[in-house]
Amino acid sequence: MTLDEINQQLANLAVSGDQDFANAANYIAQASQAAQSGQLTPQELVEILRDMQRQTAILEDVSRLAFKETLNSCINGLLLVAGAVL
Amino acid sequence: MKLFTILFALLSGCAAYDAVVMTRFDANEYQMITKIRVDSSHFKNSCDDPTASRANATTLAQETELFAAYSEHLPHNGDGYRAAQELDAMAQGLGKQYQTSSTVSTLFCKLKFEGVEHSANTIQHVLGKRPR
Repeated sequence: MTLDEINQQLANLAVSGDQDFANAANYIAQASQAAQSGQLTPQELVEILRDMQRQTAILEDVSRLAFKETLNSCINGLLLVAGAVL
Repeated sequence: MKLFTILFALLSGCAAYDAVVMTRFDANEYQMITKIRVDSSHFKNSCDDPTASRANATTLAQETELFAAYSEHLPHNGDGYRAAQELDAMAQGLGKQYQTSSTVSTLFCKLKFEGVEHSANTIQHVLGKRPR
């Protein structure tokens, strides 16, 4: 993938309508521009981009936790209701 | 169709089991993630001072390391531990940059502390809702 294609895909994500994707795309674009203007070194840019991947992984992990918490609440609620009925 | 029904029942059963036995609210774990979040929100304001930031990066890396180590052996906490590991990797990346580079840019310092603060907030939100 060329740099132009990457920039095009970031631009597409920025207007995709999904706020999280748009924020992430803008963040990456700004970090990339900061590296081009010398505010970030290439190594620092790489680390910032790795952080984006790590943050995505964290979101996946906490989503699973949140799902279990909701399910746990539902089960406890049903147990309470069943206990009241029986 | 039968196989699909059995498979669905098994999957639903596993999910329900995971939910029932999931890690309960742990006050120590919650305090640690809160400290990481608050400290990183303060540390980002000192990025203009390289000496202070170097010390702050070391402090934050120690806090996230402790958080990950604490989460590791909590029963049924695989997802929580994985999130803690990712958070620790973010903080260690900043500490490593200060160890290996003579100069670390102010913007990089701010972005790293902000990233840890944001992710710590995300994790804290979920840990706070764990069943009591």
